[in-house]
Amino acid sequence: MVRPLTRRDFLNYAAMTAAAPIFEVKPLKGIDFLLQNSPTPRKFLIETMPGGIALLDYNNDGLLDIFMVNGGRITEGLHVPENFERNNSRYWNRLYRQNRDGSFTDVTEAAGLANAGNGNYGMGVAIGDYDNDGYPDIFVTSYGKNILYHNNGDGTFTDVTAKAGLAGGGWSVSAGFFDFDNDGKLDLFVTRYMEWDADHNKICGGEWHTYCPPNVFPATTCLLYRNRGDGTFEDVSERSGIATKKGRALGVAFADYDGDGFTDIFVSNDGMQQYLYHNSGNGTFTECALESGVALTIDGKGLSGMGTVFQDYDNDGRPDVFVTVLPRELYGVYHNDGGGAFTYQSLETGLGAITSGSSGWGVGLEDFDNDGWKDLFVAQSHVLDNVQQIDASLRYKELPLLAMNHNGHFDRAESGAPTPLAARGAAFGDINNDGRIDVVISTLGGPPVLLLNRCDSGNHWLSIGLRGTRSNRDGFGARVTVNGQTRFATSAGSYLCSSDKRLHFGLGSAQKVNVEILWPSGVKQLMTDVRPDQFLEVREPEHS
Amino acid sequence: MIRIFFFAWLTAAQAGAPDAMQHLQAGLDARKQHQVDQEIAEFRKATELDPQMADAFVNLGAAYMEKQDYGAAIVPLKRAVELSPDLPVAHQLLGYALLSQGYAAESIPHLSKVGATEALGIAQIETGQLTEAVGNFTAALAQHPNDPDLLFYLGHSSGLLSKSAIDTLIASYPDSARAHQALAENYYALRQMPQAEKEYLEALRLRPDLPGIHLELGQVYANSAQWPKAEAEFSAEAKLQPGKAEAAYRLGAALLQQGKSREAFAELKRANELKPDMSETLYSLGKAASLVGENTIAEQSWLKVIELEKTTALAAQAHFGLAGLYRKQGKTEQAQNEMKEFQKLQSTIGPPRSE
Repeated sequence: MVRPLTRRDFLNYAAMTAAAPIFEVKPLKGIDFLLQNSPTPRKFLIETMPGGIALLDYNNDGLLDIFMVNGGRITEGLHVPENFERNNSRYWNRLYRQNRDGSFTDVTEAAGLANAGNGNYGMGVAIGDYDNDGYPDIFVTSYGKNILYHNNGDGTFTDVTAKAGLAGGGWSVSAGFFDFDNDGKLDLFVTRYMEWDADHNKICGGEWHTYCPPNVFPATTCLLYRNRGDGTFEDVSERSGIATKKGRALGVAFADYDGDGFTDIFVSNDGMQQYLYHNSGNGTFTECALESGVALTIDGKGLSGMGTVFQDYDNDGRPDVFVTVLPRELYGVYHNDGGGAFTYQSLETGLGAITSGSSGWGVGLEDFDNDGWKDLFVAQSHVLDNVQQIDASLRYKELPLLAMNHNGHFDRAESGAPTPLAARGAAFGDINNDGRIDVVISTLGGPPVLLLNRCDSGNHWLSIGLRGTRSNRDGFGARVTVNGQTRFATSAGSYLCSSDKRLHFGLGSAQKVNVEILWPSGVKQLMTDVRPDQFLEVREPEHS
Repeated sequence: MIRIFFFAWLTAAQAGAPDAMQHLQAGLDARKQHQVDQEIAEFRKATELDPQMADAFVNLGAAYMEKQDYGAAIVPLKRAVELSPDLPVAHQLLGYALLSQGYAAESIPHLSKVGATEALGIAQIETGQLTEAVGNFTAALAQHPNDPDLLFYLGHSSGLLSKSAIDTLIASYPDSARAHQALAENYYALRQMPQAEKEYLEALRLRPDLPGIHLELGQVYANSAQWPKAEAEFSAEAKLQPGKAEAAYRLGAALLQQGKSREAFAELKRANELKPDMSETLYSLGKAASLVGENTIAEQSWLKVIELEKTTALAAQAHFGLAGLYRKQGKTEQAQNEMKEFQKLQSTIGPPRSE
C-alpha cells in the first residue's frame, strides 16, 4: 500500500538527496581473498558466473563472519573430467572470523573448510541450521559437486555431503534453506543453470569472441531436498513437481506470497520466463508464474533473470518480487496484488529510468536509511568482459545501484562506491552491529568490497533474531511485522549469496515498536511497546 | 549478373551471296539442335563468304554469347552494328557483351538504343551515373514488380547515390549543420554512439531549428537507455514539428520508460490521433492507458493491434496485455482466453525470450 508523502518524508527525501553517500568503502582488514574466476580465451561460461558470499555468525559470538566461495583454476586446455586445482590454497573457499576490533582472521584451514574438491568450480553458498543445534551450517554450490559442511559448534566444520545425500551434480548456482513442509526442519532448494561441461562449451559473438547466451545450452531442472531430521536429505525434486519444469535458473528466493502458511519459491531464470512454485502444502508445488503475472515483462517477454529478492517493498504486507537482468531490459518488479496475482511495476516504481542500461546480479531490499521503506541495492556488471568493444554504450564494470525507496518509488542515490566493479554476489547484514545494514560484494578476479553504511539519518531501528522452537530454529519462513512493515525471514535471495539472518527494520522517528511474528508453526506472537535501537532475540513460544 | 534474354532470332531476312546464305541457314539449323560449335563454324563461314551480311555477324555474335564467350562475341557484333546501325538485337547483344567484359561506358549507347533498362542501370552504376541508374531500375521495376534482382540493384544504386550526395555535402560544406547530421547518421549506423551524439550536438549548435535532428539524437540516447536525455530531445522535436506523429510516439515511449505514465498516455494518444492505426503506437498507448487506469482505451488499443497484426509478435504482446488487464478487472475467463491466445502465438513464433 503506497501512502501519501508526508512533510517529514519530504524533508527526509530532501536531506537525503543533498546528503553524503550512504556507504563508505572500507578495507576488510585481515581479508586477503581474491575471487579466482580464471578467465581464458576459451570463454568457458562458468568463468563469468561466481562467486558467493555469506554473512553468518558461525561461532555465535554476536559478530558476523564472512564466508567466500572461490571459483577455481581454469586453463585453455580444460576438458572433462575437469580439474580446477581446488587443493591449491589460492583456490580455496575462505572463512574469515570477525574479531572484536572489526578486523578478520582467516580460519579456513582450522575450520576444516580448505580444499573444496578439485572437480568442483565454486559458485554459491547457503546458510542454515539444518540440524537445529544452534550453529549455522554451510552449503556450497559448484559446477561439479555441492558440499554440506556441518558446523560442529567448536569452530570446526565437517563435510557431511555424502551422508546427507546433497552432492547433486551438474551446474548448481544459488541455493537456500527453507522449511517447505513446516515440520521444523530446514529443507534445501538448489538452482541449476544449464546442461554444460567443458567439452561442450561454445564461443559466441563471431569475431568478438564472447560468452554464449544461455539458450545455446540445454535447460535443466532445479533440486529440492527434504530434510529427514536424521542428518540426511531426500531428493524430492521429482515427487514435489519441481523437476517438471526445466529452466536456466540462477537465483532463488522464498516467501509465502499468498498467505496460506506455506513458503513458496521464486526462481529467476536467464533468458526466458521466470518460475513461481506455489507450495500446495502437501509436499508438492505447482509452477504458476504465468497465471500469477510474474513470469514475463509487461510486454510478454522473458527476462535475463539473475538475482532475485522476495520481500515487501511497498509496506502492504505482501512479498513482492524483484529480478535483476541484463541491459536493454528493466529490472523486474512484480507487485503482489493479493489473491495470488502480481502486476509488473518496473515502470511505475521508477526502475525503468535507472536500470535499463545496467546488468544486475546480487540484489537486496533493505532499509539502508532506516526510514521505514526498504531500499534497493544491486551489484552490477555486464556478463561479457569485452562488451564495451561490441556496444560502446555498455560497460563491463559498473558502479553498484543504490535506489532509495520513497513511498514505493525508487530514486537513484549515491552509493559511495568510488570505482566501477565486476560485481557478482551481494550479501547484506549489519557487519558492525551499529543498526545500519552494510553490504559485501564479490568481484570477479578481485577482493570482496565492503560498503559500510554511514547514513546519519538519526532514524531508529530494530534488529530481530528469531529462535524457533516448534518451527525451524532459524525461524526461516516467519512473517515478521514491525510497525506496519513486513519481512519474511530468510537468509536466501540475491545471487549466490546468503545474508545476515537477523531481520532489520528501520523505524523512522518511532519511539515505540509493535512486533508481530507469525511463525511457520502457525504460532502468532505479539510484542508491544518494544524499545527501538536494539538487537532483539525472540524465542518462539513452545506452547500456544 | 547480367540477365540474358535469349531470343528466337529472325531467320535470314536480307539477301546475300548464295553460298553464304547456305552456311547461314546451316548455322540456324545447328542452333535448333543446340550444336553451338557447329553454329559458330557455319556463321563464321557465312561472314567470310559475305563480309557485308549483317545477319551472319549478329548470329555469330549470338552463338558466342550462347557459349558464354562474351569476349569473342564483341567483334562480330560490332561489325553487325556497323553494317546495320538500326538492328536492335545487334545493339542489345553488343551492349550485354561489352558490359560483361567490363566495358560499361561503351555498352551504354547500345543498351540505351534498345531501352534495355536493367542492363543499362547496371552500366550506369559502374560509370557513376547513379541518378540515371536509379531512374532505370525504377522503370524496370514498374514492369517487373518485386523482381529480386531489380530490387537489389535499385537499393544498391540508391544507397550509392545517397552516399555520393553525402560525400559531396561533407567535402563541400564540412562545417554545415547538415554535414554534421550526415556524419552523425553514419556513426549511428555503425553503432558508434558517442561520435554520433557529438556530431548531432554540433549540428544542433549550428541550426537548432533544423527538423529531424532532435529526433535522431533522441534515438541515440534511447539506444543507450539515457531516458531523461532522450525525453528532452523528443520533446524538442515535438515542439518543432507538432504535427509529426513519430516525434509524439517516441516522446511517449521515453516518458513511459521513465514511469511518467500520465504524460506518456497524453503523448501517445496525440501520436495516435496524428497517425492512426500504427500498431507500435497503439500497443504503447494500450500500455500507458492500462497504467493510468484508462482501461477502455487500453482494451480498444490492444484489440486494434490484434486486428492489424493478427499473428505477429506484437499481436502476441497485445494478447498478453489484455490478459493482464482482464485479470486485474476480475474478468477471469477473458483473461484466460487472452493468455491462451498469447501462448498459442508463442508456440508459433517461439517461446518468450529476453530482449
